Amino acid sequence: MEEARKGLLGHLNMLEMEANNLELQQQELRQRGRQEELSANLQALLSKRDQLKVEIKANTSLQKMRTLLDRTGVPYERNEDVDDLEDGSDNSQLLLMMARHTQLKDLLHAHHLIGGYDVLQTRKGKGVCVSLATAYEGVYLETYNLEIDLGSNLRICRHNIPPFIPLERLVTQGNMQTDIRDFLDTLSQYLNAYAGRKQQLHLTKEIHSSVQVAESNALCTILVLMFTIPGEKAETTLCTLQYADHTQRLPTRVNIESEDTALASSPQWKKNQALLLETPLHTALVTMKKTGSIA
Amino acid sequence: MGDSTNRILQRLIRRIPYQMLQTMFGKWAHLSREDLHSLDFTQPKWVLTEHLLALCEEKGLTVKHITELEMIYIIENPNQGMWHGFQLLDAEEDAPSIELTQFKEQFKANLTELISHVSIKIKKHTDEAIWIRVAWGDNFTKPYHLKPTYVVHHLQTPYVFVTGVTSKHKPLLNQALVLATRYGSMKDAHLSGRNLTAIRDLLMRQYQQVFPTKHPKPLQEKNPVPRNPNIEKEQAENTENRLQMACEAFGDGTLPQMQKAVYKLETKFRDNSNKTLTGREEPFRGVVEFASTNLLESLRHCVSSGMASTPVTPLLSSITQKGRNYFVITDKGV
Repeated sequence: MEEARKGLLGHLNMLEMEANNLELQQQELRQRGRQEELSANLQALLSKRDQLKVEIKANTSLQKMRTLLDRTGVPYERNEDVDDLEDGSDNSQLLLMMARHTQLKDLLHAHHLIGGYDVLQTRKGKGVCVSLATAYEGVYLETYNLEIDLGSNLRICRHNIPPFIPLERLVTQGNMQTDIRDFLDTLSQYLNAYAGRKQQLHLTKEIHSSVQVAESNALCTILVLMFTIPGEKAETTLCTLQYADHTQRLPTRVNIESEDTALASSPQWKKNQALLLETPLHTALVTMKKTGSIA
Repeated sequence: MGDSTNRILQRLIRRIPYQMLQTMFGKWAHLSREDLHSLDFTQPKWVLTEHLLALCEEKGLTVKHITELEMIYIIENPNQGMWHGFQLLDAEEDAPSIELTQFKEQFKANLTELISHVSIKIKKHTDEAIWIRVAWGDNFTKPYHLKPTYVVHHLQTPYVFVTGVTSKHKPLLNQALVLATRYGSMKDAHLSGRNLTAIRDLLMRQYQQVFPTKHPKPLQEKNPVPRNPNIEKEQAENTENRLQMACEAFGDGTLPQMQKAVYKLETKFRDNSNKTLTGREEPFRGVVEFASTNLLESLRHCVSSGMASTPVTPLLSSITQKGRNYFVITDKGV
């Protein structure tokens, strides 16, 4: 009986020892696993730190380049008092390009915010879309777009500029191939002037219903208005406004004709004529109504 | 009123649909209110015509007045007959500052110089379009009013739309227009159709065009309306891309109602499985014609629903980009 118990206890002891060993082994395995995991993490974090360090370095040199560019407009090679960059000349060229790129993007964004034109890249860099905004008296009016193909020659592939704006003439005159800023500035001028004239006519029709428009044209360069003079006779006067300069919002010539031939040469109407030449149409009409020249 | 005048008036009344007669006469300045009241619009058309003929005879109306009525009718209903678009080229210095009276005088003077017997009527419509009606005669006969030519031109644009001109008179009309608008020459814009408003809107780009912008999607609300969580659109991005490309190629919203596009092929036959036709030197002549009640709308739908492959082939997008509907395709390109 004793031997059987000893054998059983011994067996149990042996099992206990085996269980302890197994547990120790498992713990070791687990520890090793955790160790490997942690060292892998460590490696990843180290490499990320190195990457970030490189990026910071690149960004600071880009910033330095950019401030230099903004301040002097001159790339760093010609400027002597700059900290030396260990990189070779290729890297510095790249940095210069990147600095110019960010400068240009900021300039375009600022331009877009003040209501000028905005340029977008399309078709993975093979084309640009220029949107020209028009505004008059603080109110945004239509936006016109131009899609330009960037090949060896710049070519306008499509646009929504109305057909009475002489686009082809502006392309050749403004030298779109060599000086695109000049071309875009002139086009913007034409479009803004047209939008301004159109808006003046629209406001006149809305506010001054007593004034009749006898003739107008699509480009808003010729306008013939009919005024009624207050008084017992209620005569009508024809006023012709000609906008010969298509880049301006004010007329270049004002002609007044009336049944009463003396009216046009009266001092009050001479003043009105000068007024129409100098102030926008709808405000001029308000003044004229106040002074009693027209009904 | 002579016999021919009677005939012109009869033809015209026959052409105008009955429902429009009353409004047309109202716009025509030569019939007074009492005359209009005296005409009974419930009678059959031929009775009305007789009545009208008698009335016009009484008032001594001439061909000139009748052509006015015809012009009013055509201006109100321009979408009949075949209209052809033309483009003016080589503008001279003062082309942008042409004004109406100048154009009228120049055109009349030029055309009467070329042909002595023409009847010209020019009218400016409220939408800045100039309508010209020309009845042609020749050196010995009076102008023939039953087949007039109509021309529509918008000042300061290089486009002209013409209907009803024969090949004999076409060069004369061209020359008069070119001189009056101060351009160098006029060429065929390869755009024609029955619907004048459609071809005019297409050529002068008066439909809504779509361009790439920085923010193509409208701004999202912070708390969007909860959509059904069991439905997820797998191809949402693709659909949006296709719709954007379709709108960029053809336009947004209501499109001009073009009815036909014709492609004339003069390319060599390429399919190698057909033994009789391959290997020939001459080009294979074929004509492909797309017809629909609203062609641009159907093409746009084809592209946005994926039936036509994207990016849109330039053969189809040239319809809107170049404003044409007749193309000749050779091996070198369109």
